[in-house]
Amino acid sequence: MIPILSHTDAQTVSFAIWAVALPFVAFALNLLLFSKSKIAALISTTAIVASLVLAVKVFLSVWNAPVIHAQTTWFIIGATKVQVGLLLNNLSVLMLLLVPVIALPVHIYSTAYMKEDDGYSRYFRYLSLFCFSMLGLVVVDNLILLYAFWELVGFSSYLLIGFWFTRQSAVMANKKAFIMNRIGDTGLLTAVIILYTQFGTFDIQALFGKDGFVQISNIAAGMWAGPHSAIPAVWQYVAFAGIFLAVAAKSAQFPLHTWLPDAMEGPTSVSALIHAATMVAAGVFLLGRFYPMFTESELTILAVIGAFTAFMAATIALTQNDLKRILAYSTISQLGFMVLAMGVGAYASSLFHLVTHAFFKCLLFLVAGIVIHQMKHIKDDNNLDIDPQNILHMGGLRKKLPLTFIVTIIGALALIGLPLTSGYLSKDGILIQAFDWAESRGAIFNIIPYAALLTSWLTAFYVARLVVKVFFGEFRLHKANPHIHIHMGDGSRLYKGPLVFLAICSLFPLFSNSPIFYEDAWIYKSFLPSNFLARENLYHIVIPALINILAVVVIYSAFAIYGKRNAWAFPQTGLLYRISFNEWYIDRFYNRVIIKFVMWFSNVLYWFDKKVVDGLVDLFTNVGIGLAKLAAWLDRNIVDGALHLIAGIVQSIGNFARRFQGGKVQYYLYSMLLVVAVVFIFKMIF
Amino acid sequence: MNLLSLLIFTPMLFGIIILILPSSMRASFRYLTLAATLVQLVISVIIYFNFKTGTTFAGINHEDQFQFIQKLPWIDLNLGSLGKLQIEYFVGIDGISVTILVMSALVMVVAAISSWEITSNLKGFFALFLLLDMAVMGVFCALDFFLFYTFYELMLLPLYFLIGMWGGVRREYAAIKFFLYTLFGSVFMLLVMVGLYMSVTDPATGNHTFNIIQMMNPNNYVQGSVFSTLNNATILGLPARMVGFVVLFIAFAIKVPVVPLHTWLPDAHVEPPTPVSIILAGVLLKIGGYGIIRICMGIFPDAAVSSAFWLGLLGVISILYGAFNALAQRDLKRLIAYSSVSHMGFVLLGIASGTAEGVSGAMMQMISHGFLSSMLFFLVGVVYGRVHDRDIYNFRGLASLMPRYTVYVMVAFFASLGLPGFSAFVAEAFSLAGAFKSSSVNGLLPQWMAVCGAVGILLGAAYLLWTLQRMFFGTLSLKGGEIWKTALTDINFRETAALLPLALLALALGIMPSLVFGKINDAVLAFVSFLQLK
Repeated sequence: MIPILSHTDAQTVSFAIWAVALPFVAFALNLLLFSKSKIAALISTTAIVASLVLAVKVFLSVWNAPVIHAQTTWFIIGATKVQVGLLLNNLSVLMLLLVPVIALPVHIYSTAYMKEDDGYSRYFRYLSLFCFSMLGLVVVDNLILLYAFWELVGFSSYLLIGFWFTRQSAVMANKKAFIMNRIGDTGLLTAVIILYTQFGTFDIQALFGKDGFVQISNIAAGMWAGPHSAIPAVWQYVAFAGIFLAVAAKSAQFPLHTWLPDAMEGPTSVSALIHAATMVAAGVFLLGRFYPMFTESELTILAVIGAFTAFMAATIALTQNDLKRILAYSTISQLGFMVLAMGVGAYASSLFHLVTHAFFKCLLFLVAGIVIHQMKHIKDDNNLDIDPQNILHMGGLRKKLPLTFIVTIIGALALIGLPLTSGYLSKDGILIQAFDWAESRGAIFNIIPYAALLTSWLTAFYVARLVVKVFFGEFRLHKANPHIHIHMGDGSRLYKGPLVFLAICSLFPLFSNSPIFYEDAWIYKSFLPSNFLARENLYHIVIPALINILAVVVIYSAFAIYGKRNAWAFPQTGLLYRISFNEWYIDRFYNRVIIKFVMWFSNVLYWFDKKVVDGLVDLFTNVGIGLAKLAAWLDRNIVDGALHLIAGIVQSIGNFARRFQGGKVQYYLYSMLLVVAVVFIFKMIF
Repeated sequence: MNLLSLLIFTPMLFGIIILILPSSMRASFRYLTLAATLVQLVISVIIYFNFKTGTTFAGINHEDQFQFIQKLPWIDLNLGSLGKLQIEYFVGIDGISVTILVMSALVMVVAAISSWEITSNLKGFFALFLLLDMAVMGVFCALDFFLFYTFYELMLLPLYFLIGMWGGVRREYAAIKFFLYTLFGSVFMLLVMVGLYMSVTDPATGNHTFNIIQMMNPNNYVQGSVFSTLNNATILGLPARMVGFVVLFIAFAIKVPVVPLHTWLPDAHVEPPTPVSIILAGVLLKIGGYGIIRICMGIFPDAAVSSAFWLGLLGVISILYGAFNALAQRDLKRLIAYSSVSHMGFVLLGIASGTAEGVSGAMMQMISHGFLSSMLFFLVGVVYGRVHDRDIYNFRGLASLMPRYTVYVMVAFFASLGLPGFSAFVAEAFSLAGAFKSSSVNGLLPQWMAVCGAVGILLGAAYLLWTLQRMFFGTLSLKGGEIWKTALTDINFRETAALLPLALLALALGIMPSLVFGKINDAVLAFVSFLQLK
C-alpha cells in the first residue's frame, strides 16, 4: 500500500525521526545520568538546536512538495495491523519547524531564568520531555499514536505546571489541568474508537487524506455510511463532540478553558512555551488534521464556540490584575479566533494565526517573566509582602527595562493586530473571511463576525491597559514604599537574545512581502485549496481600516485612562465589572456545583456499597447465623429434649417401680393380690 | 520432565524443604522462597520463549493445539455399571494462559521480596505462601475440570490462614468473609462440574470425562443428558445450559470481582500483609477473568453469547461504580482496592464484546493490572510498614521527604490511569474499541457501553491525581510529627528491586504491546470464531 520511499524521502523521514527523538534522548540522559547536574541545560538545549536544524531540512524538502508517508507495523490485534509511522505534509512540517523555533529561545532564556532554582536539572528534563511529545504529536500518522502523544503533551504540561510541587496552588492547578484535559482525552478516545469502528483503520492518511475514507463517507437517512459499513449517524455527531471536547480542553475553549489561567502557576518560561505558543495550539492543529470530517453545522458550532470564547476571555482580561493571568486570558481569546477561523472555513488563516501568535505570545510571556523576576528581586531584597505578578504595583518600568519595553511594544502591537506586525496579517484575514462567511448565510450569522470585531477592540484596550500599567506612569511600588532599594535591568544576553529574536519574528517581513495584504503571506498561500478564488470585495478594505482606526482610538483612550490618571476611571462595583473580575463565575460554578455533585455522588455510592451491598452480605451472614442458632435451639430443646423426655419418663417409671422392690413382704403380698385381682377382672370382662 | 509440571510443583518442593528445616534456620526461609519464585520465573520465561504461535497452535477447543501438554491418568476407578471414573492429571497451555503464567511468576517474585516485612511464624508463612503459589500456577495450567477445581479450592486454604494470621486489625473478619464468599461460588461450581461430567464422554474411551476441552465440543455430550446442547433440559424451569453458565459465571465473577459481588475485596485486600495483598490483586483476580474465558464461555458459548449484554452491563457498572467508590475513600489501600474493581470491569467489558479487539484488550488488561496493582499494593505497604497508617489525610508533601518513592508512586498512578506508553492504556483503549465495535460486528453490546466505559478513564484520573495532590505534594506535614518523619525513609535497595521490574514491564508492554498480543492473537481469534459457532 505504501510505495517504497525514494532515497531522499527516506533521508527526510530519518531526519524527522531524529528531530523528534533527540529531545527524548536528552530527557533520558538527564534522567539517568545528570539528574543533579547543571549540564542538563546544555544537553537539552543542544538537543533542541539539533532538532531545529533537522526540522529546517525536513521543512525545506517537504513544504509544498508531495506528502511523505512512511510506516511500519507496530503490533497486530485481531485482524487489524496497527501501524506506526510518520505523515509529513505541509501542516505537520510547519508545526515540526515551529515547535523548535519557539522552544530554542525558551531554552536559552530558561538557562538564565531558572539558574537559581533547586530543580534546575529536573526543569530541563521535563522541558525536553515536552518537546519530544509535542514534536511527536505533529508528525505521527495514526490515531493511536496521536492520542498517545496528545496525552503525553498533557502529562508533561502537568509536570511543568506542578514544577514547584510544594506550592499548594501549583499542585491544585496541575491536577485541574490534567483532569480537564482528561475530559478532552476521553472525548478524543471516543472519537478514535468510533472512527476505527467505522473505517477499520487508525491511519490518518487513509482516513483524512485526499479521497480518504472520511471524504467518501456520507450521512444519509440517519445513517453514516462509510466504504465498509454504516452506523447510525448519531455516532458521527458523538465523534465530533469528542473531538470538540479534546480541542476545547487542549486549546482552552469554553467550557473547558478554566485550567489555563491556573496553569500560570508554572515557571513563566514554561507558560511561554507550553501554555501560550505550542501545546495550547495543539487543539487547532487537531482541527486541521481532522478537518475533512466536519459537516457544515459542526463547523458552525466551532465558529460559535470560538467567537464566544474569544469574546468572553477578552472581557475577563479587561479587569484582571495578575500580569500572567491577563496574558493567559488573551491566549484563550486568540485561540478562540483560531477555532472561529476553522469554523468559518478560514483554514489557512487559522493556521497562519497559530504561527504568528506563537511568536508574539511567547515574546510577551518572556517579557512577563523578566518583569516578574525583577519584581521578585525587589520583594526579596526588601522583605516586602507583595504579589510580584500584580500589575498594580508596577509602573514606569520603561526607563528601567528599555529593551524589554521596546520588544513589549512590538509584541503588543502584534497582539492587537496593527499593521506592520505579523498579527495584523493573520488576524485581519480571519475577520475578513468571517464577514464573507456570514454574508453568504444570513443575518443571524453576522453575530459571529461582529463579536470577533468587538473582541479585537477589547483586545486593543486590555493590551494597552497592561502596557500602560506596567511601563508607563510612575513606579507605584516605589511610590508606596519610598525607602526601598531598587535595582533592575534587562538582564544578560541570555534574556535579551531570545526577546530580540522573537520580536523580529513578530514583524511582517518573516511572513509576507506586503505589510498590508494577508493574501500574500506564504504560509497562508500554501494552505489554500488549489481551486481557491480570491474574492475581492468591500470587506477587504473596510474591515482592516475600521479595525485599525478604532483600535488606535481605543489604545489612546486606555492610555489616557491609565497613563495620565486624570481622566475618569472605570467603576469597580458594577455588575459587569464583577462578572468580568470573577471570570464569569465559571470556575466557581464548576467548584460549587459539578465537583460538589461528583463528590456527593461518590459518597452516596460508597454509603450504598457499605450499607446496602455489603449490608446484604451481612444480612445473609446474619440470617445464616440466626438459622444456625435456631437449629442449635431446636437441637437442644426439641431433638435433645425428646431424648431427655424419654429418659426422664423411663427414669420416673423406674423410680416408681423401684418402690415395689423395697424388700417388705407386705408390699409383695399386696401387689400379688392386685395382679390377681386385675387378671380376674379382665377375665370377667372379656 | 514437563516444564509446566515443573513450574507447578517447584514451589511445593521448596515448601517441603522449608517444613523439614528446623526453625533455627528460619532466616533462610525467605531466601528459599525467593529462590523458588525465581526458579519459577526462569521456567515461565523459558516457556514464553518456546511458546509457538500460528493458527495451528491456537488452542481453545482443539486439544492437539495446546502446548507443553502432560496427560497422566490420575484417578481411574471402575464403578461397575456406572462406567469408569476417569480423572486425569492434564495440564497444557495456549495463548490465553501463557502470558498470564509469566505475569503470575513475576508477581510471585515481587510478593516474595515484599515478604521481608513478615517477622512472626516464618515457617508457617512461607510454607503456606509456596502452597498458594503452587495452586495458582496449577489453576492456570489445568485442563481437567477436576484438577482445576482441586487447585482452585487449594488456593483458599493458604489464603485463609495468610490473611487470618498475619493480617491487620480486622484480619479474622476479612479472612472468614473472603473464604465463605469464594466458597459460596465454588460449591455451586462443583454441582455444575458434576453435571458436566455426567453429560460429557470422551470420544476416545467412551468414559465420562472431566476434560475441559472435550466439554467444549457439542458432539461429546450424551444424548439426553442435562447439559446436552440438543436436549434443552431445564433446571427449575430454566434452560439447563443457561443455569450452568450463570452458576459458573457467579463463581468467577466473585473472583474478578464484579459488582455487586465485590464487597469481599476491600476487606480482603486491606487486611492482609503486603505480600498477600499483592498476590490477591495481582494474580487471584485474574483467575476470575481467566475462568470466564476458558471455562464459562468455553463450555457454554451459546449461553455466553445470549447473555453478553448483561456481562457487558456488569462490566460497565463495575468500571463506574468502582471508580466512584475509589473517589470516596480516605484509606489508601481501600482506594486501590476499589480501583481494582474499576479496572477489572474493563476485562469483563472486553470479554463480553466477543470481538478480537475486546478480548485482546481484556487479556492485556489482566496482565497490565497484574503488574500495576502489585506495584500499587507494594507501594502502600512501604508507607504502612514504616508508620502503620494509611489514611490519606494523615500525610502531605511526601514528595520532599521520599523523592524516589514518589517517582514510583507517580509511575504506578499514571500507568494505572492509562497514560499512553504504559500497558493499561493499550488494554483499556482496545477493550473499549472492542466494546464499541461489537454492535457492528456481532451485535452483542450496544455502543453506549463503550462510551460509558470511557468515562471510567476520566474518573480514574480524578481519584489518582487527587490522591497524589493530597498525599505527596504541598508542604510536608505528617500526623505523626517528627517520629514519622524519621521513620519515613526513602525506599531501599530491596524495595527498588521489587518495583523497578514491574515499572519497566508496564512500560515495555505499553511500548511493545506485541509482547502480549503476538502470543495471544491466534488464541483470541480462535476464541472469537469459536463463540460465533453457536
